[in-house]
Amino acid sequence: MAEITEDVLVVNKLGIHARPAAALVQKMLVFQSDVFITFEGNRVNAKSIMGLLTLAAIRGSHLTVTCTGDDAEEAMAAVKELFASGFGED
Amino acid sequence: MDTKNLPINRKSSIAVARLMDWMSHDLQFKVLGGYQGFGRPVMTSDINRPGLALSGYLEYFANDRVQILGNTEIHFMERLPAARLMERLDGMMSFEIPAFVLSRNLDPRSLFLDMCNRRGIPVLRSARSTDEVISRIILFLAEEFSPETVVHGTAVDCYGVGCLIVGDAGVGKSETALELVERGHRLVADDVVALKRHRDDTLYAETNPIVEHHMEIRGVGIVDVKSVFGVGRVRNRKTIGLVVELEEWRQDNTYDRTGLKEEFVEILGVPIPYLRIPVRPGRNIAIIIEVASLNHRLKELGVNPAEQFNNRILNIMEEKSL
Repeated sequence: MAEITEDVLVVNKLGIHARPAAALVQKMLVFQSDVFITFEGNRVNAKSIMGLLTLAAIRGSHLTVTCTGDDAEEAMAAVKELFASGFGED
Repeated sequence: MDTKNLPINRKSSIAVARLMDWMSHDLQFKVLGGYQGFGRPVMTSDINRPGLALSGYLEYFANDRVQILGNTEIHFMERLPAARLMERLDGMMSFEIPAFVLSRNLDPRSLFLDMCNRRGIPVLRSARSTDEVISRIILFLAEEFSPETVVHGTAVDCYGVGCLIVGDAGVGKSETALELVERGHRLVADDVVALKRHRDDTLYAETNPIVEHHMEIRGVGIVDVKSVFGVGRVRNRKTIGLVVELEEWRQDNTYDRTGLKEEFVEILGVPIPYLRIPVRPGRNIAIIIEVASLNHRLKELGVNPAEQFNNRILNIMEEKSL
């Protein structure tokens, strides 16, 4: 079982509000790995919309993502791609 | 749900006799004459006041509509010399007329009645005022001519919101409805739901007159909800506010997670808010539908909880970035 930790940057203007949070959760649900995000001392499950919203991560925030499980690599790649694309927002 | 290919029934005409169904419009018609013509077809929901036709102008005479005779028309006929009246009515009646409807308990001239009797044009009379007669007839006919269809599903009045529950056979529509009824809500129809359009923007569900409020519950058999739960737990008609599609939980399917984006489904040309709800053991669908109904009511009152919540998050983030 692999565990990977990497940093991602919030690039979209509005930050992690409900829509991006839902998009991330939706994406993460297909992986069986556990995905956690740590920001400003809070650690939340990336498969929980409400958890992600408590981070109130604005543009420019650096979040630490930890994926644990057999498909950790794929999950990490998916997380990075979503953040880099700004969740399809400006 | 495939709403594009629903079989749509729409009457192209109704017999004049249908107008006697006073339950629907409460005009309490009395028939003054022309009984033989009760089978005449009414083809449109519009009405006509034949004032101009009575005065001899028959171009553009809307003869195919129900002809309303109020104070003006009756008194005008009263004042015409008999020969002239006969000539005018002959002119009018050379066109196909479905029926004459009199308001305010007006008494027509016997000459008029004789001619209607001879030609078999029904003459109906109501005690109500002319405007009341006109609006009731138009509404009644519009309803008669409005398109309808039948869907396989269940209709329940949940907290005052008409919910149409659809989904594949065996997904649990009836069981969900039963639980909703048990929780105090009202059953409109199970299995066979007649859907009718009212005006052009409202859709309502109706109880099938044969099935009534019977339900088939697998393992139990046929249950009469009205006798088991009481008359307070059923109703015959309810405007549909929400379409809920139940489906087996599929991993690849993306269910709405935030409620920020509203989906609609179009039935008989009326867009209705639509929710897709995944079913899986441990999920109490009845309670989910209760919450969906209440949430729908909130939205109707102009409160969008999902949007408000997201705005709060956005505000918190904005303050943080200052």
